[in-house]
Amino acid sequence: MIRIEKERIDEFIRALMETWSVYAPARDGKNTLFAPVEDPAGIDHGIFNTDKSPKEIFFPHSEVLFEFEGGEIKKVERDARPIAVWGLRGCDARSLRLLDKVFGSAWQKPDNDMFEDPYWKEKYDDSIIFGTACNEPRSTCFCNWFGAGPHDGAGMDVKVVDTGEAFILDPVSEKGKKYIGSLKGWAEATKKDVTKMKAAAKEADKAMGEVFGMDGIQEKMADLFLKPVWNDIGAKCVNCGACAFICSTCHCFDVQDEGKKGKKGKRIRIWDTCMFPIFTMEASGHNPRDMSKDRLRQRFMHKFSYFINNYDEHLCTGCGRCVIVCPVNLDIREVVREVMACEA
Amino acid sequence: MNNPYYPIDTVLEDVITETPTIKTFCLKPVRPVRFKSGQFMQLTVPGVGEAPFTPSSDPNIAEKMEITILKTGKVTDALHELGPGAKLGLRGPFGKGYPLEKLEGKEVVVVGGGVGLAPMRSLLYGLFDDPSKYKRISIKFGAREPAELCFRGQYNEWVNLSENIDLTTTIDVPHPEWDGKVGLVTTLLDDLDINITDSYALSCGPEIMLKFVTLKLLEVGYKPPQIYLSMNRKMSCGMGKCGRCNVGHYYLCVDGPDMCYDKIKHVPNVFG
Repeated sequence: MIRIEKERIDEFIRALMETWSVYAPARDGKNTLFAPVEDPAGIDHGIFNTDKSPKEIFFPHSEVLFEFEGGEIKKVERDARPIAVWGLRGCDARSLRLLDKVFGSAWQKPDNDMFEDPYWKEKYDDSIIFGTACNEPRSTCFCNWFGAGPHDGAGMDVKVVDTGEAFILDPVSEKGKKYIGSLKGWAEATKKDVTKMKAAAKEADKAMGEVFGMDGIQEKMADLFLKPVWNDIGAKCVNCGACAFICSTCHCFDVQDEGKKGKKGKRIRIWDTCMFPIFTMEASGHNPRDMSKDRLRQRFMHKFSYFINNYDEHLCTGCGRCVIVCPVNLDIREVVREVMACEA
Repeated sequence: MNNPYYPIDTVLEDVITETPTIKTFCLKPVRPVRFKSGQFMQLTVPGVGEAPFTPSSDPNIAEKMEITILKTGKVTDALHELGPGAKLGLRGPFGKGYPLEKLEGKEVVVVGGGVGLAPMRSLLYGLFDDPSKYKRISIKFGAREPAELCFRGQYNEWVNLSENIDLTTTIDVPHPEWDGKVGLVTTLLDDLDINITDSYALSCGPEIMLKFVTLKLLEVGYKPPQIYLSMNRKMSCGMGKCGRCNVGHYYLCVDGPDMCYDKIKHVPNVFG
């Protein structure tokens, strides 16, 4: 563990920028998001969990897959430097790990026909994640429902703890250990630092809401598929899709062409959501998820039932963004509670 | 690393008009594309987009591929305007394909409706490779009207291939030019002279048809493991990622699109 006094943090980030393309929390008008760092002095270390999730660093909202001209396919070049992310919260670090199961190599089994996604892998595989432990979780945070906590380091390469006067860098993964081990000119964390870290973790844990037992939710959701509970919950939802776009784990997309027919253009992968009717509407006009409630149910089934079947985890890490952004105050935690309270 | 999003350059060599709204596109990819009957391709019209289609051609031929397509949306409208020489793209194949090995020694019933006859032709070519491997190949085709019965000119040729092949057709409503059977394709399953316990039934068509074909098959004595359905839905990636084609926890693009009904019968809205 190394210790970086706050007045020297720019120096640390600047060194990181020599080899890595660094992303950190930033402000964009009223919103906060992760942006490429141009000047370390511009990083606002006080930003808590960003409004927009950091999934777009590795899975951009709209990504050019290739360009074409005549019959030729042209590869799109991107910044060849590996990506470093500074200030990612634990929920988001774990979200990236879930997305790595879908797009990357983290869930390869001998017989499961998984395709690896080259666009994800070229960014995520060589990345390094500096995650910031949360000293003051929000009322909307519920990472503790999923076996994590505000000071949990899972999914991070290096966990960073703010002790007030310094950042303590605690390597988690092999990659993190290697990087921290390669650094020179930084002091080791002191006993006092460690005491402060422990106290901060304890305080943060206390600030979290009560854990809700998720055991059995996978089967419960499947059993309730046809029950009126979905009509009740669905009646409130306006299918705006804000929850999915803001979500750190939702990853549905569409593939579209832009350009002139047969001549020059681009193929683009663009975020999409199961909340939109057109998402599953077939050319014939038939729509397997025709009703608002069908789409809402799909999103929850995917998160708390199907994803467990396919990847052995919930597709939610409790970041709470959807709770904040939903225009009709549909709280994912309330939905889970309501569903779990239902008689099958 | 191979990029599964890159299409293989493909030239449109010929276009065959099958019905007023259905054409077969004869394609030549720059390198051979090996596929199993029932697997599907993403076909690109550059600048318009790509859409998933199951080939209608012989799976033993990798150098060329035929895809039979109904004019019904953005990509298919653009395709129907194209003639020989057009540059297209193919990526795939995706999905598992039909379980041909399971069908060996069995009485195989193939039920197709409308443009659903297209993937079925690829399956049939697979079976025709050596018809003696199967006890029987019984083909049941239906369409709304006579003009919409795809591949009509080939039916005689098929049944003449081997004694164990038979084919019956029906159209939905009476038509002045039709003196054959009238009624939905399910009516062809009413008096099956098939030993059902020793049979598999495979079907492709609109979801509403698949639903009633399945109900009919169950009614006449088929068990869910004996029924295979081509579940084709909107699919953007073909790789189990984009989230469109979920039926229960399955991704039809990876786990199907030809699903054993036994696997999906527990999904309450399996037919949408």
